[in-house]
Amino acid sequence: MSTTNPHFMPGPYFIDIRGRGTYIFYMIELYAVTKRYGSLVAVDNVSFCVKKGEYFALLGPNGAGKTTIVKMLLDFTKPSSGNLSVNGLPSTHAASRIAVGYLAENYHIPPYLSGWQYLQRCAELLEISRTDAIDHCRRIVELIGMRGREYSKVNTYSKGMIQRFGLGAVLIGNPKLLILDEPTAGLDPIGIREIRQLLESLKDQGMTIFLNSHLLSEVEKICDNAAIISSGRLLVKDTISALVKDGDTLEDVFVRFVKG
Amino acid sequence: MPKALSTIIRIAKYTLSDEVRQKSLVVMFVICALFIFLIRGCYQGNYMVNGQVLDAGTVIRIVSKITFHVIAAGAMILTALLSMRVFRRDRDYGMQSCILSKPIARWQYVAGKILGLWALSSIFMFILHSIIFIIASINLKVVMPEYLIASLLCCFNLLFVVIAVLLLSLLMPDIIAFLCVIGIGVVSFVADGIFVLSHSQMAQAMVRQPGMQSELTWWQVAYYLWPKLSGTQQFASSFIGSEGPHEFGSIYSLINVLIYVFILVSLLFLRFRNEDII
Repeated sequence: MSTTNPHFMPGPYFIDIRGRGTYIFYMIELYAVTKRYGSLVAVDNVSFCVKKGEYFALLGPNGAGKTTIVKMLLDFTKPSSGNLSVNGLPSTHAASRIAVGYLAENYHIPPYLSGWQYLQRCAELLEISRTDAIDHCRRIVELIGMRGREYSKVNTYSKGMIQRFGLGAVLIGNPKLLILDEPTAGLDPIGIREIRQLLESLKDQGMTIFLNSHLLSEVEKICDNAAIISSGRLLVKDTISALVKDGDTLEDVFVRFVKG
Repeated sequence: MPKALSTIIRIAKYTLSDEVRQKSLVVMFVICALFIFLIRGCYQGNYMVNGQVLDAGTVIRIVSKITFHVIAAGAMILTALLSMRVFRRDRDYGMQSCILSKPIARWQYVAGKILGLWALSSIFMFILHSIIFIIASINLKVVMPEYLIASLLCCFNLLFVVIAVLLLSLLMPDIIAFLCVIGIGVVSFVADGIFVLSHSQMAQAMVRQPGMQSELTWWQVAYYLWPKLSGTQQFASSFIGSEGPHEFGSIYSLINVLIYVFILVSLLFLRFRNEDII
Protein backbone atom coordinates (compact mmCIF):
# COMPACT_ATOMS: atom_id res chain seq x y z
CA MET A 1 0.00 0.00 0.00
CA SER A 2 2.98 2.33 0.31
CA THR A 3 3.21 5.02 -2.32
CA THR A 4 6.43 6.49 -3.63
CA ASN A 5 7.21 8.85 -6.43
CA PRO A 6 8.43 6.59 -9.23
CA HIS A 7 10.22 9.52 -10.85
CA PHE A 8 12.27 10.35 -7.78
CA MET A 9 15.68 11.61 -8.77
CA PRO A 10 18.12 13.59 -6.64
CA GLY A 11 17.92 17.28 -7.41
CA PRO A 12 15.27 20.02 -7.37
CA TYR A 13 11.72 18.83 -7.96
CA PHE A 14 9.78 21.63 -9.53
CA ILE A 15 6.93 21.27 -11.92
CA ASP A 16 6.47 24.22 -14.24
CA ILE A 17 2.75 24.73 -14.82
CA ARG A 18 2.35 26.21 -18.29
CA GLY A 19 5.17 28.64 -17.72
CA ARG A 20 3.43 30.25 -14.75
CA GLY A 21 6.31 29.61 -12.45
CA THR A 22 7.28 26.64 -10.37
CA TYR A 23 5.11 24.44 -8.23
CA ILE A 24 6.34 21.87 -5.77
CA PHE A 25 4.14 18.79 -5.82
CA TYR A 26 5.84 16.80 -3.08
CA MET A 27 6.93 18.68 0.02
CA ILE A 28 8.80 15.68 1.40
CA GLU A 29 10.30 12.76 -0.45
CA LEU A 30 12.28 9.86 0.90
CA TYR A 31 13.75 7.32 -1.44
CA ALA A 32 15.36 4.11 -0.17
CA VAL A 33 16.61 5.86 2.96
CA THR A 34 18.67 3.81 5.37
CA LYS A 35 20.37 4.98 8.55
CA ARG A 36 22.78 2.79 10.46
CA TYR A 37 24.40 3.47 13.83
CA GLY A 38 27.18 0.91 13.82
CA SER A 39 25.45 -2.47 13.54
CA LEU A 40 22.04 -1.03 14.50
CA VAL A 41 19.76 -0.24 11.56
CA ALA A 42 17.56 2.64 12.76
CA VAL A 43 15.86 3.24 9.40
CA ASP A 44 15.75 0.49 6.82
CA ASN A 45 15.17 1.31 3.16
CA VAL A 46 12.22 3.63 3.73
CA SER A 47 10.54 5.41 0.81
CA PHE A 48 7.49 7.64 0.83
CA CYS A 49 6.30 11.08 -0.23
CA VAL A 50 4.19 13.78 1.38
CA LYS A 51 2.19 15.98 -0.97
CA LYS A 52 1.82 19.70 -0.62
CA GLY A 53 -1.03 20.62 1.69
CA GLU A 54 -1.21 17.12 3.16
CA TYR A 55 -1.50 16.41 6.89
CA PHE A 56 0.72 13.40 7.30
CA ALA A 57 1.38 11.36 10.42
CA LEU A 58 4.35 9.10 10.95
CA LEU A 59 3.41 6.52 13.53
CA GLY A 60 5.44 3.87 15.24
CA PRO A 61 6.40 2.48 18.63
CA ASN A 62 9.30 3.93 20.61
CA GLY A 63 12.62 3.34 18.85
CA ALA A 64 10.93 2.72 15.50
CA GLY A 65 13.06 5.38 13.78
CA LYS A 66 10.53 8.22 13.54
CA THR A 67 12.75 10.87 15.10
CA THR A 68 15.72 9.65 13.02
CA ILE A 69 13.67 10.28 9.86
CA VAL A 70 12.81 13.77 11.10
CA LYS A 71 16.47 14.46 11.83
CA MET A 72 17.47 13.33 8.37
CA LEU A 73 14.82 15.59 6.82
CA LEU A 74 16.37 18.55 8.63
CA ASP A 75 19.93 17.42 7.87
CA PHE A 76 20.62 16.98 11.58
CA THR A 77 22.02 13.58 10.73
CA LYS A 78 23.12 12.12 7.41
CA PRO A 79 21.49 9.04 5.91
CA SER A 80 23.77 6.04 5.40
CA SER A 81 22.19 5.62 1.98
CA GLY A 82 19.22 6.92 0.01
CA ASN A 83 17.92 10.37 -0.87
CA LEU A 84 15.69 12.84 0.92
CA SER A 85 14.19 16.03 -0.37
CA VAL A 86 12.32 18.79 1.41
CA ASN A 87 10.64 21.69 -0.36
CA GLY A 88 11.86 20.30 -3.67
CA LEU A 89 15.53 20.42 -2.70
CA PRO A 90 17.90 17.80 -1.29
CA SER A 91 17.69 17.98 2.50
CA THR A 92 21.43 18.72 2.72
CA HIS A 93 20.81 22.18 1.20
CA ALA A 94 20.17 24.88 3.79
CA ALA A 95 17.69 26.37 1.31
CA SER A 96 15.47 23.29 1.69
CA ARG A 97 14.60 24.60 5.16
CA ILE A 98 13.17 27.88 3.87
CA ALA A 99 9.57 28.08 5.09
CA VAL A 100 9.98 24.97 7.26
CA GLY A 101 9.05 25.04 10.93
CA TYR A 102 10.36 22.34 13.26
CA LEU A 103 9.09 21.57 16.72
CA ALA A 104 11.35 19.13 18.54
CA GLU A 105 10.22 16.51 21.01
CA ASN A 106 10.81 17.83 24.56
CA TYR A 107 11.24 21.36 23.35
CA HIS A 108 13.83 23.49 25.14
CA ILE A 109 14.21 27.24 25.34
CA PRO A 110 17.18 28.93 27.05
CA PRO A 111 15.95 29.54 30.62
CA TYR A 112 17.48 33.02 30.84
CA LEU A 113 15.34 34.35 27.98
CA SER A 114 11.70 35.38 28.13
CA GLY A 115 9.22 33.79 25.75
CA TRP A 116 9.01 37.09 23.90
CA GLN A 117 12.79 37.35 23.48
CA TYR A 118 12.88 33.81 22.18
CA LEU A 119 10.18 34.47 19.60
CA GLN A 120 11.99 37.61 18.50
CA ARG A 121 15.22 35.71 18.07
CA CYS A 122 13.46 33.15 15.93
CA ALA A 123 11.96 35.94 13.82
CA GLU A 124 15.33 37.66 13.41
CA LEU A 125 16.97 34.40 12.36
CA LEU A 126 14.42 34.25 9.54
CA GLU A 127 15.54 37.72 8.42
CA ILE A 128 12.22 39.30 9.39
CA SER A 129 12.64 43.03 9.99
CA ARG A 130 12.39 44.30 13.57
CA THR A 131 9.03 46.02 13.16
CA ASP A 132 7.52 43.07 11.30
CA ALA A 133 8.97 40.73 13.92
CA ILE A 134 7.18 42.61 16.72
CA ASP A 135 3.84 42.40 14.89
CA HIS A 136 4.44 38.77 14.09
CA CYS A 137 5.37 37.87 17.67
CA ARG A 138 2.31 39.70 19.06
CA ARG A 139 0.04 37.72 16.77
CA ILE A 140 1.78 34.47 17.71
CA VAL A 141 1.48 35.18 21.45
CA GLU A 142 -2.27 35.66 20.98
CA LEU A 143 -2.49 32.51 18.90
CA ILE A 144 -0.79 30.29 21.48
CA GLY A 145 -2.78 31.86 24.32
CA MET A 146 0.20 33.14 26.25
CA ARG A 147 -0.66 36.83 26.45
CA GLY A 148 0.41 38.27 29.80
CA ARG A 149 3.15 35.68 30.31
CA GLU A 150 5.33 36.48 27.33
CA TYR A 151 7.75 38.71 29.25
CA SER A 152 8.35 36.24 32.09
CA LYS A 153 11.59 34.25 32.09
CA VAL A 154 11.32 30.79 30.57
CA ASN A 155 12.52 29.17 33.81
CA THR A 156 9.17 30.20 35.35
CA TYR A 157 7.17 28.38 32.63
CA SER A 158 5.63 24.93 32.88
CA LYS A 159 6.52 22.26 30.31
CA GLY A 160 3.22 22.85 28.55
CA MET A 161 3.90 26.59 28.31
CA ILE A 162 7.33 25.94 26.82
CA GLN A 163 5.69 23.61 24.30
CA ARG A 164 3.25 26.38 23.36
CA PHE A 165 6.06 28.88 22.85
CA GLY A 166 7.86 26.23 20.83
CA LEU A 167 4.85 25.87 18.59
CA GLY A 168 4.62 29.65 18.38
CA ALA A 169 8.25 29.88 17.31
CA VAL A 170 7.60 27.28 14.63
CA LEU A 171 4.74 29.36 13.18
CA ILE A 172 6.84 32.50 12.77
CA GLY A 173 7.42 33.43 9.16
CA ASN A 174 4.29 31.62 7.89
CA PRO A 175 6.01 28.31 7.08
CA LYS A 176 4.66 26.09 4.32
CA LEU A 177 5.77 22.89 6.01
CA LEU A 178 5.59 22.06 9.70
CA ILE A 179 7.57 19.15 11.05
CA LEU A 180 6.19 18.40 14.50
CA ASP A 181 7.77 15.78 16.72
CA GLU A 182 5.32 14.94 19.51
CA PRO A 183 3.80 18.46 19.60
CA THR A 184 1.41 17.61 22.43
CA ALA A 185 4.02 16.09 24.75
CA GLY A 186 3.62 17.55 28.22
CA LEU A 187 0.30 19.25 27.51
CA ASP A 188 -2.87 18.72 29.54
CA PRO A 189 -6.06 17.56 27.75
CA ILE A 190 -7.21 21.17 27.24
CA GLY A 191 -3.82 22.09 25.81
CA ILE A 192 -3.94 19.07 23.51
CA ARG A 193 -7.34 20.13 22.23
CA GLU A 194 -6.15 23.69 21.66
CA ILE A 195 -3.15 22.50 19.71
CA ARG A 196 -5.38 20.24 17.63
CA GLN A 197 -7.72 23.15 16.89
CA LEU A 198 -4.76 25.31 15.98
CA LEU A 199 -3.41 22.69 13.58
CA GLU A 200 -6.84 22.26 12.04
CA SER A 201 -7.09 26.00 11.47
CA LEU A 202 -3.76 25.94 9.62
CA LYS A 203 -5.19 23.47 7.13
CA ASP A 204 -7.12 26.25 5.44
CA GLN A 205 -3.87 28.12 4.79
CA GLY A 206 -2.55 25.25 2.64
CA MET A 207 0.13 24.29 5.11
CA THR A 208 1.72 20.84 4.96
CA ILE A 209 2.18 19.06 8.27
CA PHE A 210 4.45 16.15 9.03
CA LEU A 211 3.47 14.88 12.43
CA ASN A 212 5.22 12.39 14.70
CA SER A 213 2.85 11.43 17.45
CA HIS A 214 1.79 8.72 19.82
CA LEU A 215 -1.64 10.27 20.32
CA LEU A 216 -3.44 8.19 17.74
CA SER A 217 -6.87 9.63 18.52
CA GLU A 218 -5.58 13.12 17.70
CA VAL A 219 -3.86 11.90 14.54
CA GLU A 220 -7.09 10.24 13.44
CA LYS A 221 -8.94 13.53 13.85
CA ILE A 222 -6.59 15.84 11.99
CA CYS A 223 -4.44 13.87 9.53
CA ASP A 224 -5.25 12.85 5.95
CA ASN A 225 -2.52 10.24 5.57
CA ALA A 226 -0.40 8.13 7.84
CA ALA A 227 2.53 5.76 7.66
CA ILE A 228 3.39 3.18 10.28
CA ILE A 229 6.98 2.15 10.81
CA SER A 230 8.43 -0.41 13.15
CA SER A 231 12.07 -1.37 13.70
CA GLY A 232 13.02 1.13 11.01
CA ARG A 233 10.83 -0.48 8.32
CA LEU A 234 7.86 1.10 6.64
CA LEU A 235 4.89 -1.21 7.24
CA VAL A 236 2.14 0.74 5.58
CA LYS A 237 1.32 4.16 4.14
CA ASP A 238 -2.19 5.14 3.16
CA THR A 239 -5.01 7.55 3.80
CA ILE A 240 -6.52 7.46 7.27
CA SER A 241 -9.90 6.52 5.80
CA ALA A 242 -8.37 3.57 3.97
CA LEU A 243 -6.51 2.41 7.05
CA VAL A 244 -9.37 2.77 9.50
CA LYS A 245 -12.51 0.93 8.44
CA ASP A 246 -15.17 -1.47 9.70
CA GLY A 247 -15.52 0.15 13.12
CA ASP A 248 -11.80 -0.05 13.86
CA THR A 249 -9.85 2.78 15.40
CA LEU A 250 -6.40 3.92 14.31
CA GLU A 251 -5.12 2.38 17.53
CA ASP A 252 -6.44 -1.04 16.47
CA VAL A 253 -4.81 -0.67 13.06
CA PHE A 254 -1.55 0.48 14.65
CA VAL A 255 -1.41 -2.47 17.06
CA ARG A 256 -2.28 -4.93 14.33
CA PHE A 257 0.50 -3.72 12.05
CA VAL A 258 3.17 -3.33 14.73
CA LYS A 259 2.48 -6.72 16.30
CA GLY A 260 2.48 -8.26 12.86
CA MET B 1 25.24 43.37 3.69
CA PRO B 2 25.27 39.84 2.26
CA LYS B 3 22.67 37.58 3.86
CA ALA B 4 25.24 34.99 4.96
CA LEU B 5 27.24 37.65 6.79
CA SER B 6 24.20 39.17 8.49
CA THR B 7 23.23 35.71 9.79
CA ILE B 8 26.75 35.17 11.15
CA ILE B 9 26.70 38.55 12.88
CA ARG B 10 23.27 37.81 14.35
CA ILE B 11 24.44 34.48 15.80
CA ALA B 12 27.57 36.20 17.10
CA LYS B 13 25.38 38.82 18.78
CA TYR B 14 23.30 36.12 20.48
CA THR B 15 26.44 34.29 21.60
CA LEU B 16 27.85 37.47 23.06
CA SER B 17 24.66 38.42 24.89
CA ASP B 18 24.17 34.86 26.21
CA GLU B 19 27.69 34.81 27.63
CA VAL B 20 27.38 38.27 29.19
CA ARG B 21 24.23 37.09 31.01
CA GLN B 22 26.37 34.65 32.98
CA LYS B 23 26.99 36.02 36.45
CA SER B 24 30.33 34.20 36.75
CA LEU B 25 31.69 36.18 33.80
CA VAL B 26 30.62 39.49 35.31
CA VAL B 27 32.11 38.57 38.70
CA MET B 28 35.36 37.52 37.04
CA PHE B 29 35.52 40.77 35.09
CA VAL B 30 34.97 42.89 38.22
CA ILE B 31 37.67 40.99 40.13
CA CYS B 32 40.12 41.41 37.24
CA ALA B 33 39.35 45.13 36.94
CA LEU B 34 39.88 45.63 40.70
CA PHE B 35 43.15 43.73 40.52
CA ILE B 36 44.30 45.94 37.66
CA PHE B 37 43.40 49.07 39.66
CA LEU B 38 45.54 47.80 42.54
CA ILE B 39 48.51 47.51 40.20
CA ARG B 40 48.64 51.30 39.83
CA GLY B 41 50.56 51.43 43.14
CA CYS B 42 53.42 49.53 41.47
CA TYR B 43 54.10 52.51 39.20
CA GLN B 44 54.88 54.79 42.15
CA GLY B 45 57.46 52.73 44.03
CA ASN B 46 61.26 53.23 44.01
CA TYR B 47 63.07 50.32 42.47
CA MET B 48 66.78 49.54 42.79
CA VAL B 49 68.67 47.14 40.60
CA ASN B 50 72.36 46.46 41.37
CA GLY B 51 72.34 49.44 43.71
CA GLN B 52 71.05 51.83 41.07
CA VAL B 53 67.66 53.48 41.23
CA LEU B 54 65.61 52.82 38.13
CA ASP B 55 64.32 55.89 36.36
CA ALA B 56 60.58 56.49 36.07
CA GLY B 57 60.49 55.70 32.34
CA THR B 58 62.03 52.26 32.84
CA VAL B 59 59.67 51.51 35.73
CA ILE B 60 56.63 52.48 33.65
CA ARG B 61 57.79 50.37 30.72
CA ILE B 62 58.58 47.30 32.82
CA VAL B 63 55.45 47.43 34.98
CA SER B 64 53.28 48.06 31.93
CA LYS B 65 54.82 45.12 30.12
CA ILE B 66 54.43 42.75 33.06
CA THR B 67 50.80 43.78 33.46
CA PHE B 68 50.29 43.43 29.74
CA HIS B 69 51.52 39.82 29.82
CA VAL B 70 49.49 38.93 32.93
CA ILE B 71 46.28 40.29 31.37
CA ALA B 72 46.92 38.63 28.01
CA ALA B 73 47.64 35.23 29.61
CA GLY B 74 44.63 35.57 31.93
CA ALA B 75 42.41 36.47 28.99
CA MET B 76 43.50 33.28 27.23
CA ILE B 77 42.45 31.16 30.23
CA LEU B 78 39.15 32.99 30.47
CA THR B 79 38.53 32.55 26.73
CA ALA B 80 39.16 28.81 27.00
CA LEU B 81 36.71 28.65 29.94
CA LEU B 82 34.06 30.55 27.98
CA SER B 83 34.48 28.47 24.83
CA MET B 84 34.54 25.00 26.32
CA ARG B 85 30.80 24.67 27.02
CA VAL B 86 29.34 26.71 24.19
CA PHE B 87 28.27 23.85 21.91
CA ARG B 88 27.01 21.74 24.79
CA ARG B 89 24.96 24.59 26.26
CA ASP B 90 23.45 25.39 22.87
CA ARG B 91 22.54 21.72 22.48
CA ASP B 92 21.06 21.46 25.97
CA TYR B 93 19.00 24.63 25.61
CA GLY B 94 17.74 23.67 22.16
CA MET B 95 19.33 26.66 20.41
CA GLN B 96 21.43 24.48 18.10
CA SER B 97 18.42 22.65 16.68
CA CYS B 98 16.41 25.89 16.64
CA ILE B 99 19.05 27.69 14.56
CA LEU B 100 19.93 24.80 12.28
CA SER B 101 16.30 23.97 11.50
CA LYS B 102 16.16 27.35 9.78
CA PRO B 103 17.78 28.00 6.40
CA ILE B 104 21.15 28.56 8.04
CA ALA B 105 24.19 26.54 7.00
CA ARG B 106 26.29 24.85 9.64
CA TRP B 107 29.38 26.86 8.74
CA GLN B 108 27.42 30.06 9.38
CA TYR B 109 26.43 28.80 12.82
CA VAL B 110 30.04 27.88 13.71
CA ALA B 111 31.39 31.13 12.29
CA GLY B 112 28.84 33.07 14.37
CA LYS B 113 29.89 31.22 17.52
CA ILE B 114 33.59 31.88 16.84
CA LEU B 115 32.98 35.54 16.09
CA GLY B 116 30.84 36.04 19.21
CA LEU B 117 33.32 34.39 21.56
CA TRP B 118 36.28 36.11 19.97
CA ALA B 119 34.61 39.51 20.17
CA LEU B 120 33.65 39.00 23.82
CA SER B 121 37.07 37.82 24.96
CA SER B 122 38.85 40.51 22.93
CA ILE B 123 36.62 43.22 24.42
CA PHE B 124 37.29 41.80 27.88
CA MET B 125 41.06 41.90 27.36
CA PHE B 126 41.00 45.27 25.62
CA ILE B 127 39.07 46.88 28.50
CA LEU B 128 41.58 45.54 31.05
CA HIS B 129 44.48 46.78 28.94
CA SER B 130 42.70 50.11 28.52
CA ILE B 131 42.54 50.49 32.32
CA ILE B 132 46.34 50.30 32.43
CA PHE B 133 46.53 52.71 29.51
CA ILE B 134 44.27 55.18 31.33
CA ILE B 135 46.17 54.84 34.64
CA ALA B 136 49.46 55.50 32.85
CA SER B 137 47.99 58.40 30.89
CA ILE B 138 46.29 60.19 33.81
CA ASN B 139 48.49 59.46 36.82
CA LEU B 140 51.88 59.29 35.18
CA LYS B 141 51.24 61.63 32.23
CA VAL B 142 52.64 58.98 29.90
CA VAL B 143 50.50 58.27 26.87
CA MET B 144 51.22 54.84 25.38
CA PRO B 145 48.96 54.31 22.34
CA GLU B 146 51.17 51.38 21.38
CA TYR B 147 49.79 49.60 24.43
CA LEU B 148 46.40 49.36 22.76
CA ILE B 149 47.94 48.28 19.45
CA ALA B 150 49.75 45.51 21.32
CA SER B 151 46.45 44.50 22.92
CA LEU B 152 44.80 44.21 19.50
CA LEU B 153 47.67 42.04 18.25
CA CYS B 154 47.17 39.71 21.21
CA CYS B 155 43.58 39.13 20.05
CA PHE B 156 44.91 36.62 17.51
CA ASN B 157 45.97 34.41 20.43
CA LEU B 158 42.39 34.54 21.70
CA LEU B 159 41.10 33.56 18.27
CA PHE B 160 43.41 30.55 18.34
CA VAL B 161 42.15 29.58 21.81
CA VAL B 162 38.46 29.93 20.82
CA ILE B 163 38.82 27.77 17.70
CA ALA B 164 41.05 25.16 19.36
CA VAL B 165 38.70 24.72 22.34
CA LEU B 166 35.60 24.56 20.12
CA LEU B 167 37.22 21.93 17.90
CA LEU B 168 38.51 19.83 20.79
CA SER B 169 35.17 20.07 22.64
CA LEU B 170 33.62 18.20 19.69
CA LEU B 171 36.15 15.42 20.07
CA MET B 172 36.52 15.02 23.82
CA PRO B 173 34.94 16.06 27.13
CA ASP B 174 34.83 19.84 27.60
CA ILE B 175 37.18 19.96 30.56
CA ILE B 176 39.79 17.86 28.73
CA ALA B 177 39.50 20.21 25.74
CA PHE B 178 40.07 23.16 28.07
CA LEU B 179 43.08 21.51 29.71
CA CYS B 180 44.59 20.54 26.35
CA VAL B 181 44.50 24.11 25.06
CA ILE B 182 45.84 25.47 28.33
CA GLY B 183 48.57 22.82 28.05
CA ILE B 184 49.45 24.04 24.56
CA GLY B 185 49.77 27.57 25.95
CA VAL B 186 51.87 26.48 28.94
CA VAL B 187 54.24 24.46 26.74
CA SER B 188 54.56 27.47 24.44
CA PHE B 189 55.50 29.77 27.34
CA VAL B 190 57.89 27.25 28.94
CA ALA B 191 59.55 26.46 25.60
CA ASP B 192 60.08 30.15 24.89
CA GLY B 193 61.56 30.58 28.37
CA ILE B 194 63.96 27.69 27.85
CA PHE B 195 64.83 28.99 24.39
CA VAL B 196 65.69 32.44 25.78
CA LEU B 197 67.75 30.89 28.59
CA SER B 198 69.58 28.54 26.29
CA HIS B 199 70.51 31.45 24.05
CA SER B 200 71.78 33.61 26.90
CA GLN B 201 75.50 34.36 26.93
CA MET B 202 76.04 32.38 30.11
CA ALA B 203 74.30 29.29 28.78
CA GLN B 204 76.16 29.57 25.48
CA ALA B 205 79.47 29.75 27.31
CA MET B 206 78.59 26.74 29.46
CA VAL B 207 77.53 24.42 26.67
CA ARG B 208 79.96 25.55 23.98
CA GLN B 209 82.50 22.92 23.16
CA PRO B 210 85.33 23.09 20.66
CA GLY B 211 84.37 21.77 17.24
CA MET B 212 80.67 21.70 18.04
CA GLN B 213 78.42 22.73 15.16
CA SER B 214 74.93 24.10 15.36
CA GLU B 215 72.46 21.48 14.10
CA LEU B 216 68.73 21.54 13.75
CA THR B 217 67.54 18.96 16.24
CA TRP B 218 64.06 17.45 16.46
CA TRP B 219 63.16 19.50 19.49
CA GLN B 220 64.14 22.68 17.68
CA VAL B 221 61.84 21.70 14.84
CA ALA B 222 59.05 21.00 17.39
CA TYR B 223 59.79 24.35 19.04
CA TYR B 224 59.36 26.27 15.80
CA LEU B 225 56.26 24.33 14.72
CA TRP B 226 54.50 24.51 18.10
CA PRO B 227 51.73 27.14 18.32
CA LYS B 228 53.66 30.24 19.31
CA LEU B 229 51.21 31.87 21.69
CA SER B 230 53.99 33.15 23.91
CA GLY B 231 55.92 34.41 20.89
CA THR B 232 52.91 36.37 19.62
CA GLN B 233 52.49 37.93 23.04
CA GLN B 234 56.20 38.85 23.08
CA PHE B 235 55.88 40.30 19.60
CA ALA B 236 52.88 42.38 20.65
CA SER B 237 54.59 43.59 23.83
CA SER B 238 57.66 44.64 21.86
CA PHE B 239 55.56 47.57 20.64
CA ILE B 240 55.34 48.90 24.21
CA GLY B 241 57.94 51.40 25.26
CA SER B 242 60.86 52.51 23.19
CA GLU B 243 61.87 49.11 21.90
CA GLY B 244 61.85 48.86 18.19
CA PRO B 245 60.28 45.78 16.79
CA HIS B 246 60.57 43.64 14.70
CA GLU B 247 62.80 41.35 12.80
CA PHE B 248 61.29 38.39 10.96
CA GLY B 249 61.86 36.08 13.95
CA SER B 250 59.29 37.89 16.06
CA ILE B 251 56.73 38.28 13.27
CA TYR B 252 57.09 34.54 12.61
CA SER B 253 55.18 33.87 15.87
CA LEU B 254 52.18 35.82 14.62
CA ILE B 255 52.30 34.08 11.24
CA ASN B 256 52.58 30.72 13.02
CA VAL B 257 49.44 31.42 15.08
CA LEU B 258 47.53 32.66 12.00
CA ILE B 259 48.43 29.49 10.09
CA TYR B 260 47.20 27.40 13.02
CA VAL B 261 43.98 29.43 13.12
CA PHE B 262 43.42 28.73 9.43
CA ILE B 263 44.08 24.99 9.82
CA LEU B 264 41.97 24.60 12.96
CA VAL B 265 39.02 26.56 11.61
CA SER B 266 39.01 24.36 8.49
CA LEU B 267 39.05 21.25 10.68
CA LEU B 268 36.28 22.70 12.87
CA PHE B 269 34.03 23.36 9.86
CA LEU B 270 34.71 19.88 8.50
CA ARG B 271 34.07 18.21 11.85
CA PHE B 272 30.90 20.14 12.59
CA ARG B 273 29.54 19.39 9.11
CA ASN B 274 29.31 15.73 10.07
CA GLU B 275 28.18 16.30 13.65
CA ASP B 276 24.80 14.84 14.62
CA ILE B 277 22.48 17.55 15.96
CA ILE B 278 20.51 16.39 18.97
